[in-house]
Amino acid sequence: MVLLSPELSKLHAGALMASVAASSGMTVNVFASMGALGQFRRQVVEERRFVVDEVGRELLAKDVPLFHRMLADARDLGDLHVYGCAMAADLMGWRDEDFLDLVEDVIGVAAFFGKSEGAQVITI
Amino acid sequence: MVVDARGSYCPGPLMELIKTIKAQPVGATVDLLSGDRGSSKDVPEWVAKAGHELVGVFEEEGHWRIRVRKGR
Repeated sequence: MVLLSPELSKLHAGALMASVAASSGMTVNVFASMGALGQFRRQVVEERRFVVDEVGRELLAKDVPLFHRMLADARDLGDLHVYGCAMAADLMGWRDEDFLDLVEDVIGVAAFFGKSEGAQVITI
Repeated sequence: MVVDARGSYCPGPLMELIKTIKAQPVGATVDLLSGDRGSSKDVPEWVAKAGHELVGVFEEEGHWRIRVRKGR
């Protein structure tokens, strides 16, 4: 699962699919890059500085468990890993400790391809 | 065993069911209560794939009761 968009509703869609897949016994590797990676920073989540469209607004208003919560829960239930993109992190000056504990490691595209070899890739 | 997931959005009820069923012995029956429209279609799909038995989907007042028997 490749997450690129910073939009809350798209992160939600990706996390939802990833968590159901992992809970159903599939191995899931999530690679967060570009704007999506920024949303995995502690500060963004703590201050709820999300990028929202109309669906995102409702997710917040109705207090639905958000993408990071869903992914953390799924990680406890199944074989799910979340990686940050090294390029985006370097470009933006984000350090490993800026990210939620959920982000297991910051890796490059080649490493991600290695992990997802033979797998179906979904990009959001 | 009853899992009351009313008020939780998709895939909340499914996730609750998966969590609960993992902790139960084979043959145990779990009732999932869900008010979420997707779950009545989603949960049976997962149950079949995961090798459990769908006892039934019952529509009750304002919610569904989905009864599952753990198959493995």
